[in-house]
Amino acid sequence: MNDTPTPVTIEPARKLFLSNASFVWIIPLLALIIALGVAWQSYNSRGPLITIEFENGAGIKTRETELRFRDVAVGVVEDVKFASGLSGVVAHVRLDKDVAPYVDVGASFWVVQPELSARGVSGLETVLSGVYIEGTWDGDIGPSQSSFKGLKDTPLYRYGKEGLEITLRTTAGGSLTDDSPITYRGIEVGRLGKAQISQQGSFAVAEAIIYHPHSRLISPTTRFWDTSGFTFSVGPSGAEINFSSIATLVGGGVTFETFVSGGSAVSDGYSFEVFQDEASARDSVFNASEAEPLQMRVVFDENISGLSVDAPVELNGLQIGRVEGLSGVIDADAFGDQRVRLSALINIQPARLGLQDDVSPEAALEFLSRQIEDGLRARLASASLLSGGLKIELVEVEDAPQYVVQTGEGIIPIIPSTNNEISDVTATVAGVVSRINNLPIEDLLNSAIQFLNSADALISDQDLRETPQVVKALLGDFREIVASEDVQDIPVKLNASLGRFETLLAQLEEEAFATQLVAAVNAAATAANGVNASVEGVPALIAQLEAVAEKAENLPLEDLTKQLTTLTASADAILGTEAAKQLPADLGSALNEINATLQELREGGAVTNINATLDSTRKAADAVAVSTQDLPALVERVRVVLNQANETIAGYNRGEALSRDAQSALRDISKAAEAMTSLARMLERNPSSLIRGR
Amino acid sequence: MEVAGQNPSIKSARDLGVVACTRCLQVWPAGTPSCARCGSTIVARDEKSLQRVWALWLVGLMCYVPANMYPMLQTRTLLSVQEDTIVGGAVELMHHGAFGIALIILIASVVIPLGKFIAIAFLAISVKRPSMVSNHHRQLMYEVVEYIGRWSMIDIFVVAIMSSLVQLNTLAAVNPGRASLFFALSVIFTMLSAQAFDSRMIWDAQRAERNIDR
Repeated sequence: MNDTPTPVTIEPARKLFLSNASFVWIIPLLALIIALGVAWQSYNSRGPLITIEFENGAGIKTRETELRFRDVAVGVVEDVKFASGLSGVVAHVRLDKDVAPYVDVGASFWVVQPELSARGVSGLETVLSGVYIEGTWDGDIGPSQSSFKGLKDTPLYRYGKEGLEITLRTTAGGSLTDDSPITYRGIEVGRLGKAQISQQGSFAVAEAIIYHPHSRLISPTTRFWDTSGFTFSVGPSGAEINFSSIATLVGGGVTFETFVSGGSAVSDGYSFEVFQDEASARDSVFNASEAEPLQMRVVFDENISGLSVDAPVELNGLQIGRVEGLSGVIDADAFGDQRVRLSALINIQPARLGLQDDVSPEAALEFLSRQIEDGLRARLASASLLSGGLKIELVEVEDAPQYVVQTGEGIIPIIPSTNNEISDVTATVAGVVSRINNLPIEDLLNSAIQFLNSADALISDQDLRETPQVVKALLGDFREIVASEDVQDIPVKLNASLGRFETLLAQLEEEAFATQLVAAVNAAATAANGVNASVEGVPALIAQLEAVAEKAENLPLEDLTKQLTTLTASADAILGTEAAKQLPADLGSALNEINATLQELREGGAVTNINATLDSTRKAADAVAVSTQDLPALVERVRVVLNQANETIAGYNRGEALSRDAQSALRDISKAAEAMTSLARMLERNPSSLIRGR
Repeated sequence: MEVAGQNPSIKSARDLGVVACTRCLQVWPAGTPSCARCGSTIVARDEKSLQRVWALWLVGLMCYVPANMYPMLQTRTLLSVQEDTIVGGAVELMHHGAFGIALIILIASVVIPLGKFIAIAFLAISVKRPSMVSNHHRQLMYEVVEYIGRWSMIDIFVVAIMSSLVQLNTLAAVNPGRASLFFALSVIFTMLSAQAFDSRMIWDAQRAERNIDR
């Protein structure tokens, strides 16, 4: 060893140690600093650990399953353990630090799994990536919580999909489908949550949400109804199948409508009823809200089949309740025998009674008790003629025995019953059918055949076929009369007399006796017109007789034919009488007389004789009247003959089927006769009208 | 302590007052500050060698911890993502019955690095304190450590090759995990640490003993 000088060792050992230290130590120091820094940073950025308890693992994997919020991963499952007592599975989730404060008491979690339902596929992405835990919480920082209970299903309310939270409950007999959409005019505006049975078990309740802004459609008067399934109805317009959409057909659904406008807004937690269909929902709007029903009992003496549970209970035709239950009852004490009676338990809806103030079962019972004391009784009545179903009707019965309703705690009050009113349709229909059956259809057919046979024989009879010819001959005679010289001469003669009149008038004009003359001329003119009218009336008479002949032609009866033949013969004879033939001649002579008078007047030319002349004109008219007085007599005779024929035909035909035709023919004949009578009467009353035309 | 073939009459370079350049092996008189041929600093004994050994050894060890904790390989298939640590991967391979491969991985990634740490630490300690192991054995140990150190990188190569080959977009992909970086660092630092060790110090201990014996 070398000898080293001692002064050298004066340098302090510490300094030596530091100077000897290699700069290499910087590297581990740096590494240490970096490691510590990283460790601190990762520890610092690490969020809190929360535990979520689920019913089962459902595919949750350690370090793989993410916790997502709005589909963004905000945490990861670090551990999955069993809860104490193996009651569930606890997932330990490491939250991201930045969202951790928001995960407070209001947070809820559920597992998103692939789901295939009627409304579609959801959570499909989880098929490949595995399930994830979805969480929802609001945007406010609340009291923190680190241990949560996971939900079984996707909750209705989530942050970002807010809406009006309401409860829906079914009405009697209705149903709800879990997790079905709430649509409005076909658009999904809300969703129904998990349906639960109410505590009493009488209806189902489901939470529901109506998303904003559709929640403004809801008011207290809004009515919900079930659109799931389909309705099939056969009506006057044919068969109809109704369903709102395939989705609701399969998956169920609820829709709503606000029938009455002007409702106030609804706050969260409001409860609505879901009706079975739109009609009942609509009806319910106009009824007061349903209150607790009043239970009553009716015991019927007869046990008639046809009354069933849910059958209506009606008061004055208005349904006020329904049958809740049916049973037999034997009560020897109350009824005095051992017969089984029908006991119906009925629910009466107080709101339907229209009570004004207090809509409660007590008020309804009080009201009904008073009515029962006044004679209100229950009876069974036919609800439907076809199905034979029965209903219970409450009716006022006159002089009903006194009855006081028993009320009290635990006693179901009884409505006394009265005689039932059941229309037995089947019996009625059977009666109708048997009566139809008993009709003597065969006899009727036989007599019809016989009748047709004899009609055939009658029509083919020779005499009947000759009838028209005889009638024709009769009409020919008629025509002869009308076409006779004398009748046709009348206008000619009138013309001549008028010509003379004109010349006379020319003279009279000169002598300024115009006024009287005008009257005279007018009288003469109307006389001429009257004659014209009477002549015109003759063809009408012929037409009528022709009609008679036609009717008579159709008459199918042998005897009638003979009678008619004789009738025509006598008519012929009448027309051939002197009086008839003389009628035109008389008329003609009357006109001749006028003519002569006028001639005289003209010849005399004396103005002073004018009045006398006019008088003789009147006389001449009277003469015409006298001659026409024969005409009524003639008409009367024709009428007598026709009446005779009428009677004969009527006598023959009465009670026979074909009499209708004959009678109508006779009626026509008698009308003709009446026409002639009236003509005759008119002439009788006012003979001068034939001349004056009035 | 006598080792076979050791001759007391052998003179060391130090005894002759010369020193060899550790890089180009040119011999210079003692006291020459730097090699005139290659320019490197010439010291008879690197006084700070042990400090560097320990410093780098420490960094290597620090890197080795996360290298085993973090996943080495991230295998992403269509349905799942699998991340395996070194030991976990080997265990998995054993589950699949590939004992050979598992063994290779375990040896290359666990046994050798750990052995290196132990060996380097042992050598560094034995320089200062008398050791039961002979100088020759320690020299041999040093040479083995230095030689085998680079083969630890085989893990990193496997990861690199796999990552570059298996990239089938969405179907499957292999990505290096965080551990691969730490593992590589760990290997690098242990190699540096081994290199920093001045093996001549092993023999200084022998000389010191001999002097005491005299």
